[in-house]
Amino acid sequence: MPVLNASSARHWLARLTLAVAILFVGRQMTCAQENISTEYKFKAVFMFHFAQFVDWPTNAFSSAQSPLVIGVLGDDPFDDFLDATVHGENVNGHPLVVERYHDLASVKDCQILFISASEESQLGRVLAGLKGKTILTVSDIDSFPENGGIIGFATIQNKIHFRINTDAARDAGLTFSSKLLRLADIVTPKAK
Amino acid sequence: MNSCIIPIAKIRAGVRFTGLLITTSFLIISTNASLAQTDVSSASANIDTNSPSALKELSLEQLMNMDVTSVTREPEPYKEAPASIDLITSDEIGRSGASSIPEALRLADNLDVAQKNSHDWAISARGFNTSLANKLLVLVDGRTVYTPLFAGVYWDQQDYILADIDHIEVISGPGGTLWGANAVNGVINITTKSAEYTQGLYVDGGGGSWLRDFGGARYGGVLASNVYYRIYGKYSGYGSEVLPNGNSANDSWNMGQGGFRIDDVPLSPNAYTLQGDFNAGHENVTTGGRANVFDYNLLGRWTHTLSDDSDMQLQAYFYRTHLTDPIPASFSATTPPILLAPTGTLIDDLTTFDLDFQHRLHLGARNNFVWGAGYRRTAESDQSDSGLAFNPPTLDQNLYSFFVQDQIKLLENLHLTFGTKVEHNDYTGFEEEPSGRLQWDVTKNQMAWVAVSRAVRMPSRVDEAENERVTTPPFNAIIPSILVGNSNFVSETLIAFEAGYRAQLGQKVSSSVSVFYNLYNDIRSAQASPPPAPLGFPFIFENNLKGETYGTELAGDYQILNWWRLHAGYDLLKENIYVKSGQTDINAAHNETADPQQQVFFRSSMDLPANVQFDTSLRWIDSITLNSGAALETIPSYFELDARLGWQVTKNIEVAVVGQNLLHAQHQEYGYPSSASTENIVRSGYGEVTCRF
Repeated sequence: MPVLNASSARHWLARLTLAVAILFVGRQMTCAQENISTEYKFKAVFMFHFAQFVDWPTNAFSSAQSPLVIGVLGDDPFDDFLDATVHGENVNGHPLVVERYHDLASVKDCQILFISASEESQLGRVLAGLKGKTILTVSDIDSFPENGGIIGFATIQNKIHFRINTDAARDAGLTFSSKLLRLADIVTPKAK
Repeated sequence: MNSCIIPIAKIRAGVRFTGLLITTSFLIISTNASLAQTDVSSASANIDTNSPSALKELSLEQLMNMDVTSVTREPEPYKEAPASIDLITSDEIGRSGASSIPEALRLADNLDVAQKNSHDWAISARGFNTSLANKLLVLVDGRTVYTPLFAGVYWDQQDYILADIDHIEVISGPGGTLWGANAVNGVINITTKSAEYTQGLYVDGGGGSWLRDFGGARYGGVLASNVYYRIYGKYSGYGSEVLPNGNSANDSWNMGQGGFRIDDVPLSPNAYTLQGDFNAGHENVTTGGRANVFDYNLLGRWTHTLSDDSDMQLQAYFYRTHLTDPIPASFSATTPPILLAPTGTLIDDLTTFDLDFQHRLHLGARNNFVWGAGYRRTAESDQSDSGLAFNPPTLDQNLYSFFVQDQIKLLENLHLTFGTKVEHNDYTGFEEEPSGRLQWDVTKNQMAWVAVSRAVRMPSRVDEAENERVTTPPFNAIIPSILVGNSNFVSETLIAFEAGYRAQLGQKVSSSVSVFYNLYNDIRSAQASPPPAPLGFPFIFENNLKGETYGTELAGDYQILNWWRLHAGYDLLKENIYVKSGQTDINAAHNETADPQQQVFFRSSMDLPANVQFDTSLRWIDSITLNSGAALETIPSYFELDARLGWQVTKNIEVAVVGQNLLHAQHQEYGYPSSASTENIVRSGYGEVTCRF
């Protein structure tokens, strides 16, 4: 344990003063995201957590270092908050990146796909087109898990809940952590 | 018989007794079943929702408790825990400018926190905040931090990187059913963050007047898939306070702590935690000499989830503490004074091993059931060449405990929780701590509760084995001891009646109120030896006191604007402790209470433009009647103010300036052995730079 005496304490302060001066010179402004709703900020962070609590089969990635892509299909409600949330983060060596897709045809190799409310009218077609892919589909469209999606957000009494269709997850080859399952409402789709 | 009171006062001055015997192990029952429900849902208040990094600090559970419609809000547990709980969040600690855990505890409205000198604090809930305060249980990540020597917590040895503390849960009122003996007047649970949420590099440092210099660093990384770790170290150096005559109290001190935590949160029902810390400190003592402390611990925990509503947990820890404490000379109260024992040293070594199991399950649709069992072994050695010794000098003890608790859903909005803990300790045998709580969810945002509980404070080494010796010939031949412990000392007991109400009134206002009526029995006293003992020496500890206390705790929060939050708190405490009829106490029942009758707290938290935070905290503490000296004295009531100005310069760097106790150049908060010799706490300030990468 270093025991500092009074003179070394003054030393400390002197160095501290210098450090602060440098900081002032090199100050950068960070632009806070004010223009998207709190709800989508939270949802962005939820998606960041999903990336950590879901296991993809190794063949879902082209290599051990290839990125874990979070795609946003349709109108992007996150602005760049999702980018800021995952910036510099990685999961098991896969750096997290965000991509945006205008339509189903442009969806490339992604591991998580957030399907925006703008796609609600063609949800059936979108989910059918993703069938058989190891993609974790996430959306806040009503009854998303009941309709074959994997994770649906539901806002109940001003709080965000998430609901998981475990059958759809299994079909996609995804494994969920027990922690995630414990916190989720499990949805069993009605027999069609 | 003035001299009758001197001995006890002297012990207090000599040893840095602070606190409480903690004897049991159950903690972390914080899943869904119980009183400790707050753990899971401890979403931090005042989260900066514009900051991805701040939001990422939140666990999924916390995120799910965040209200999407308000920028900042109180944590949710309010609705759900039928007890008087104050939850101190990580964010509140950071904004308060607290540099240590005892300072952070000033954020709890339901505690009395009094700083005695540069390195010692007296902290209690609902009274009995003497220098031997012993009715509050304190846990750090499930490890009870107490010395069974004095039944107290050495607050100066409890430290952490404050930014890595997830929350501090302060429960006033008994918690014996879950936590066991010594959770009499309250329980403090200090919970550090999972290593999963302390990833990356954190460095802080700074210095100032009283807090002269400090620095800390933590690094968190990934060991393997889903296995996270952090390592940390910190150092703090504090200056001296002053004596009433203006001289330095010569009680400067420094402390260092380091440690690690590994959390394995795999994609399976099993989760593991392994953590350990060491702490070393050197403290100058006003009465002369220097105390040295060193302790370390290692804790492992395995949590197994059986299903959505059932889980079990096994925890084991090893905890070792060492204390070398200078004991001042003792003198008689005669004129001229006679030297009874010269200065010397007390060396205390304590080794604790603790094993703890608990299991939570649902029985049917209505019953949320939790049970557990625990075992603790302590081995303590007290070597002394001073007037303060222990007989026997070494003691090995076993503590066995078992508890059950059931929460029954009577109606959709009415829950009854009842249970008991049974413990067996080597001092007094079996002890029972039952409780019953009824919770009524009046509306979605309002909850009312009532509770009846029994709690016990087990004997400590002081009560049973203390020997305040006379070592100077020839006096030691006539009076070998001044004050001795009593092997027939029994547990102090409490029957507590409580009620409370909490409400979230719209988006901006939340409030809580609790009232209590406590009936104590067998509280510690001291009495003279019967003739032919010369002059009644030695005095002997007995359980000759009883009494009642009652009071209320109020708190309210008001989010005036989305950048400005106000908080107010108020405590009232009335104490009536008396000697049981037909029995005696040399201190006339004055020795156990040194408490402010009223406390008032105001806090303001502002988020100003350009990433500036400005926080102020004003407190008014009622006068304290000092009971430990030869005559009753008073420490006057006081106002004090703390303030912090913080500026997030860049995403990674924050600078802050903190002022503490700004209203007076110096003031007294506590006082022993007398107001004339007690130390004054000085106005102080420091600057801090924090970097996160």
